[in-house]
Amino acid sequence: MRLAPVLHHPQQLFVLLAGLLAAPALVSAAPIPTRGVAWAQACAACHGPDGRSQGTIPALDTLSPEDFRTAMRAFRTEERQGTVMNQIAKGLSEADIEAVTTYFAAIQSRRRQ
Amino acid sequence: MSFFTRRQFFSLAGSLPFARLLTGRARASTQARVVVVGGGFGGAACAKYLRLADPNLEVSLVTPQRQFITCPFSNVALVGMRPLASLTHTYQQLREGYGVQIIHAQAQEIDPAAQRVILSDGTPLTYDKLVLSPGIELRWEAIEGYDAEASTVFPHAWQAGSQTLLLRRQLAAMEDGGLVVISAPETPYRCPPGPYERASLIAHYLKTHKPKSKVLLLDAKDSFTKDTLFLAAWKRLYPGLLEWVPGAQGGRVTQVETRAGIVRTEFDEYTPAVANIVAPQHAAAIARVDGLDAGTGWCPVHGSTFESRVHANIHVIGDAAIANPMPKSAFSANNQAKVCAAAIVALLRGEPIARPALMNTCYSLVAPDYGISISAVYSVENDAIQVVPGSSGTSPLDAPETTRTLEAAYARSWYANITADTFG
Repeated sequence: MRLAPVLHHPQQLFVLLAGLLAAPALVSAAPIPTRGVAWAQACAACHGPDGRSQGTIPALDTLSPEDFRTAMRAFRTEERQGTVMNQIAKGLSEADIEAVTTYFAAIQSRRRQ
Repeated sequence: MSFFTRRQFFSLAGSLPFARLLTGRARASTQARVVVVGGGFGGAACAKYLRLADPNLEVSLVTPQRQFITCPFSNVALVGMRPLASLTHTYQQLREGYGVQIIHAQAQEIDPAAQRVILSDGTPLTYDKLVLSPGIELRWEAIEGYDAEASTVFPHAWQAGSQTLLLRRQLAAMEDGGLVVISAPETPYRCPPGPYERASLIAHYLKTHKPKSKVLLLDAKDSFTKDTLFLAAWKRLYPGLLEWVPGAQGGRVTQVETRAGIVRTEFDEYTPAVANIVAPQHAAAIARVDGLDAGTGWCPVHGSTFESRVHANIHVIGDAAIANPMPKSAFSANNQAKVCAAAIVALLRGEPIARPALMNTCYSLVAPDYGISISAVYSVENDAIQVVPGSSGTSPLDAPETTRTLEAAYARSWYANITADTFG
């Protein structure tokens, strides 16, 4: 029996999953706002694809949603001193922070499944 | 295809909720063809994120290079602290992991009306959407006497690869006590902090290996990005070894004579042991055809989509685009690539364009363990890109040594992550 082409190559499966993430309406479990996808993609330039960082820049895919949200708010109000993150966090609204929190939460929840 | 050509179909689909009628789905997949020209941080990331957003899209990436050597960290390679091989990336993962068709060729012409790109061997590629991310070219003769041949004697090293290696060999061969001249151009140009990071790392190399030598940074400008941070660090780290001459004090390089080894400014003449001419630039040739640059050398674009303001269905990202106040950086190119990919998918589906998530961060090394940064977040208001108030800033001037060390480590980590995001 021939397997469906997508299963031939694990990387293609990744592409499919990532494609689903990028098209939130197709994900039934945890809808991710488009805005969350857009910000998470922007974060990837420093924090790595889906927040999987190599090196000293903190990974985002292992932070709990609560810690992520708290850190972003604290950077924004300067309660927490970072390097570039104080500026970056001030560029995001509360709704933006919530949207990108949902994105990273969805990544973690998918990994557990 | 029978009744409609693919382009006619999408032209209808773009103006009417036509695709939805046919497919019966709000988020229809598309089978359009997107051609991406350029295989750097903008082009490679755009091709990858187009396929991530819609695996049914046919995405072709056109680049003459079999592998891409990054300008980021090439200043580190220049002084022998990192092999150029570690800055070299292939398109294997884009092809095998993401299904991007890689075409190793030079894009020569564009026919915007017929929606075709013509390759240098004459092959036409039709597109529904075209993305241009070809980077920069040096403006030969903008400095009198500085052309492609002159750059084999006085390298620019502003496109990484053989030019980087040439300058590296010259620095290594220079005797202790030699003068290194670096010229920095007027804005806009690729990587605004690049000349200053380069001067810093060359000064660090000379301080370590050839301490009687000197770096003279001849600048067409009177101020530059992160200048207070650079100037303070130079005073402390490289006193007497690195001198910056601003434009108002005669820093603008006007002429070179490579046979005599001369670099001239408005007031002075130098005969350096090594001359690095970072000459004025413009968008690469393919982004200046058919009036795409509106005669300015750079391409005007719409802020939310990066679609050309001159021709429909052609998007320009990265260094070739006018995206002020975003700088011409690898980060900007990678970021714009994702915004552009999302916009293209929305346009092809006839969906509304999402608000773009635009940001930039640039790290510079003043010494191997001394990093500084600048960053900002941007919004698009009335089709123009603007800094979000409060979101723009640099490393503090009075930061402790630990912060500089940390930002140097962040710079290395950033490199690993953005290249994984773009090519991996």
